[in-house]
Amino acid sequence: MSEEEHPTEARTEETTYEQPTITEAPVKQQTAEEQELNPKLKKISLTRTVAIGIAFLIPGILALGFAIRANSQVLAFIGLGLTLWGAVFLLITPVEYVKADLVTATAAPAYETIERILKDLKPKGNGIYIPPYPKDAYLPEHLKGLKESVVFIPTATTTTATPSIEEIAQSKFLLQNPKGICITSPGLGLLTQFEKEIRTGLTRIGLEELCETLPQLILENFQLAKEIDMSQEKDQVRIRIADSIYMSLYRKPNQKSIQTLGCPLISAIAGAIAITTGKPVTIQALNANIDAETIEVTYRILEG
Amino acid sequence: MHFPLSISDISLWLAVTAIILLITSELLSSSTEYSRNLIIEKKRLRLIALALGVGFMITVIMRIF
Repeated sequence: MSEEEHPTEARTEETTYEQPTITEAPVKQQTAEEQELNPKLKKISLTRTVAIGIAFLIPGILALGFAIRANSQVLAFIGLGLTLWGAVFLLITPVEYVKADLVTATAAPAYETIERILKDLKPKGNGIYIPPYPKDAYLPEHLKGLKESVVFIPTATTTTATPSIEEIAQSKFLLQNPKGICITSPGLGLLTQFEKEIRTGLTRIGLEELCETLPQLILENFQLAKEIDMSQEKDQVRIRIADSIYMSLYRKPNQKSIQTLGCPLISAIAGAIAITTGKPVTIQALNANIDAETIEVTYRILEG
Repeated sequence: MHFPLSISDISLWLAVTAIILLITSELLSSSTEYSRNLIIEKKRLRLIALALGVGFMITVIMRIF
């Protein structure tokens, strides 16, 4: 990021943010034809797996029937084997899997919208992830807005101060004290899925446990990346992600929305840290290396 | 006209199938780098393997008592 865009005079002593650096690479865009083709490919692949399952299941059941009729042990074993594998093929068929490119493509327009807002309002610092109240906690009607997972982006001065409870509770977009905007976290969808998987709830686990559980969850359950190292150090959490499926979002040069909020995965992790610690969290440094396909992020836990 | 397999036969078949499926599911869950390209419900595969294992145990208990 060039110095002309962020003049050093504008930075105050309070500034604790390191400007995120993104190593640029050519933008790889998915064509409209490719996008049209993906659902068709998914359908074909699913139909094929179901067809294989049925192709095993029907002869299996027939073989079992003949085995009983002819009192044949060999035929019974063949029938059992075919029936089992037919059932296995039908049961392990994925229903909800989509290509990773499609997931990124659906996230891109939301970032374009945030980009427009940020270009107009000129943010002074990265987003501050405000911890929401637990979903099961009782709150009066006028404070229900506190249960929403939101990000505060300061627009007047570089500050780590968070908006007042009243302003967050009113679900306002433009906030006055401190000046800034409050938007829904782009990683909210992923965060909800994380919460579903961690059955004990994010509020009931410590930061150390989160650093152990979250990488495992992202790698094994959601398969959103190939490698994740997450470590905690005082009020900082460092994370290194290799081969994230959201890597293509970083390819667009000078995109402030990504630098301010991070991709949905980075955003969801920030939200998870905020919920676990109960304190606001900001992205202190974000380095995306397009060639090495790695993202390195340093989160800072603020005193809320 | 009766089912041609005895409890011992079914027990053996369940044991062999359970072992095959358990090894497969363990290999798939341990090597995420390779298995991420395999689009199947891995959790369900593990459940089937465990169910067959439990089935085998039931047949063993049936033979004992």
